[in-house]
Amino acid sequence: MAFADSAAKIQHRNTVRSTVSITCIVWKALFLREAVARLFAGRAAWAWILVEPVVHLGYLYVLFGFILQRLISGVDGGMFITTGVVGFLMVQNTAMRSKEAITANVGLFTYRQVFPVDTVLVRAALEAMLLLASALFLLTGLGLFGSSVLPHDVLSVMVALSALWLSGLGLGLMMSVANELIPEVGKVTDMLFRPLYFLSGIMYPVSAIPPAYRDWLLVNPFVHGIETLRTGFFPQYHAADGVSLSYLLGFALVTLCLGLALHVRFGRRLVAQ
Amino acid sequence: MIIVDDVYKRYQTDHGVGKWVLQGATFTIPPKVNVGLVGRNGAGKSTLLRLIGGTDKPTRGRVERRCRVSWPMGFGGGLQGVLTGRQNTKFVCRIHGHEQDLADLLANIEEFAELGDAFDEPVKTYSSGMKARLQFALSLAFDFDVYISDEVTATGDAAFLKKTTEAFEKLVDRAGLIMVSHAEGTLRKFCTAGIWLHEGKAHWFDRLDDALKAYKKSLTV
Repeated sequence: MAFADSAAKIQHRNTVRSTVSITCIVWKALFLREAVARLFAGRAAWAWILVEPVVHLGYLYVLFGFILQRLISGVDGGMFITTGVVGFLMVQNTAMRSKEAITANVGLFTYRQVFPVDTVLVRAALEAMLLLASALFLLTGLGLFGSSVLPHDVLSVMVALSALWLSGLGLGLMMSVANELIPEVGKVTDMLFRPLYFLSGIMYPVSAIPPAYRDWLLVNPFVHGIETLRTGFFPQYHAADGVSLSYLLGFALVTLCLGLALHVRFGRRLVAQ
Repeated sequence: MIIVDDVYKRYQTDHGVGKWVLQGATFTIPPKVNVGLVGRNGAGKSTLLRLIGGTDKPTRGRVERRCRVSWPMGFGGGLQGVLTGRQNTKFVCRIHGHEQDLADLLANIEEFAELGDAFDEPVKTYSSGMKARLQFALSLAFDFDVYISDEVTATGDAAFLKKTTEAFEKLVDRAGLIMVSHAEGTLRKFCTAGIWLHEGKAHWFDRLDDALKAYKKSLTV
C-alpha cells in the first residue's frame, strides 16, 4: 500500500492542533509558497525585483537631481530621492500587492484552514521584505558611489518604515475585501494612488512648498512617514513644521482596524463562490 | 460524527439575496458510514458538501464536525501553476501540519502520482490527466476520518484509474466517505447510506437504495 501508517503519522492523527499553531503553520507555508512563486516566476525574476527600483530612481535622479542639489544644502540628492521612493513604495507596493492577494489565492480557500486574511497578511510581509532587500541593494550601490548611506537615527528610520508598512497593510486589507465585493473599487484606488506619487514629497522637500499649500499636502499621511524617514537619515535635514509620525500611525491604526473588521464581517462570503 | 442541525443557506447574488438553497437540513452522519448524496441539478448537493467541509458557513443553523474532514477530493484549484508539483505538494503537506514527516509524505505522494521527472516541473506544463494524478495523490495522502468527493469524474489513463479505484476501496474500509455522483454504479459500489436532497430539505436513508428510489420517484412525477 502506498500510504502506510508510519509512527509519526499515527502520532499526528492523535494530536489536536491548537488554533494558533495552525495559523502559524499556514502563514509559514503561504509565505514560502508566495516567495518561491514571486522570486522564481520567470527567468531570473529575483533580479528584476532588485533592478526595477534602480531604474526607477535613475530616472528621477536624472530629472530632479540637479534641482535638488540647490534646494537642500548638505543632503545628497541621490539619497534624498532614494528615501522618498523607498518610503512611498513601502506603502504602495504593500497595498497594491495585498489588494490582489485574495483573487490570486482563491483556489486555496478550499483548504478550510486558510483564511482570506492570511493571504493578505503574508503578501504584505513578503512585499516589505523584498522592498527592504532592494533598498539595501540600492544603499550599497549609492555607498559605493560615495554617498553616506548610514542613517544617524536608526530607530526613527525603523519606526517610520514600520508605520508606512502598517498603513499599506491597512489599506491592503480594506481594498482586498472591497475589491472582491465591488470590483470597481480596484480601478478607483489605482487612480487615487497615482497622484499620491506626486503629492507625497518623493522628489521635493515639503518645507520647500509654500505654507499655504503645505497644509494641504500634510493631509496626506504618507508625507509624514517619508519626512520622518529623512530626518532619521540626514542629521542636517529639517522636516517641515506640522510633520508628525503620530498622524501616520493614527491613519495606520484606523485602516488596520477597518480592514480587519471587513475581513471578520465578509471573510466567509469572499470564500463562497 | 458530523452533525448538521437545521441548516439554512442562501447566497448573495449580483442582484440582492438569492433563493434559499437549503431550508432546514438536519441529519447526523455516524462515524465510518459511507453516504451517497443524491438530488437533481441545483438541489444544493455541492453547497451541502462545502458546508460539511467547512469551506463555507451556513446562513443559519449549525454544522459540527467531530472528526477530521478532508477537502473535496481531486479538487482542482490550489495548485499554483508557476510552482512545481513538488513545491505544491510541500505546501499542502505543511498546512496540514506535516512539517516533521514532510520527506516521507513527499516520497509517498511522488510514488503514488507516478509523474516521474514531471514532479519537478511547473504545474502549468501538466496535462489535465497529470494534474488529476497529483490531486488524487494529495487527497489520499492525509489521514482524514471522512473524505468528501464531489463528482470525481475519472480522469487519467486506465492504469491510474485502476489504482485510484483500489485506493478508494481501501479508504472506504478505514474511513467514512460522503460522495456526490450521478453515476448510480459508483454510489452503489462505495456507499451504504444515502441522503436525498429535495426542495431544501435533506432526507436521510439508512439504505442507499431507498434514497435512490425516492430520488427517482421525484424525477418521474
